[in-house]
Amino acid sequence: MRNKERLSLTVHHGSSLVVDYLGDQTVEQEMAVTCFYYDFASRRDQSPTNMLGSLLKQLLSGLGGIPGEIALKFQGQKKVIGGRRLHLPDVVKMLADVSSLQRTFICVDALDECAPKHRVEVLDALGEILLKSPNTRIFMTGRSHIRGVVERGLGGRATSVLIKPRDDNIVTYLRTRLRQDTTPEVMDSGLENDIMKSVPEEISES
Amino acid sequence: MSRAFTENINSFNVSNNIFLTPADDESKILAWLSPLEPQVRHQDICDQRVNGIGGWLLETKEFRSWYKGDENGETDHAALFCYGNPGVGKSYIWYER
Repeated sequence: MRNKERLSLTVHHGSSLVVDYLGDQTVEQEMAVTCFYYDFASRRDQSPTNMLGSLLKQLLSGLGGIPGEIALKFQGQKKVIGGRRLHLPDVVKMLADVSSLQRTFICVDALDECAPKHRVEVLDALGEILLKSPNTRIFMTGRSHIRGVVERGLGGRATSVLIKPRDDNIVTYLRTRLRQDTTPEVMDSGLENDIMKSVPEEISES
Repeated sequence: MSRAFTENINSFNVSNNIFLTPADDESKILAWLSPLEPQVRHQDICDQRVNGIGGWLLETKEFRSWYKGDENGETDHAALFCYGNPGVGKSYIWYER
């Protein structure tokens, strides 16, 4: 639990930092920033439709009006007794339309805390939005184990950065040890590169 | 239906085919889109944050090129995923810097 708390501090702070950085840029540039924070405790409420709907809401509040198409959909569903809930394909289309009005940033925090089934649906939806709205950019944080799902889900449109302890010291240490190697003939550059890459990663993840 | 058409007369065009409607039931529409309010959570997290932490991310090549976008379009990564694992205090050390 303590580790969990620490990680969420790290990643949450990472993404709130990015959200604020992007927010600062909106002063000088025409762009919109939206954010969403996943949370284990709210899994039931954080369905893909609610999540994407909340991003859409944030974009609309900055627009100063509701696009006619969305207003029409709203009027239409009121005719059904008790109203009708929004469906995922509808909200994906609305979000793609509205995000293509300007340069749009979508920040999604702690994607690992989203239910696995929902995660796949959300990544699919975000991938579709990127296709339809080329000016949109997506920032995500999460634990390492979902990296494959994220990269697959966004089909080559995602790049990943490891958040880790500063490893300058680890690298210096490794370089020193490798120089002191008494059997340098069995060391090739491939192996050396592997060591320099994988050991700092291992250490930061242990 | 007739009401929506009336509203469209007053609307203005922001792009090729999207009309903004000054809808008087705007708050109802927003509530219908989603019951969630993530801005509140963002504010909570910002309140806990210590200034100057994690700023290195903003300086990385990956972040810069993600933010600016690649004009050539060929190696453009529209999505950036930052990942990490809980460590035995290491994430915390990083966070504390």
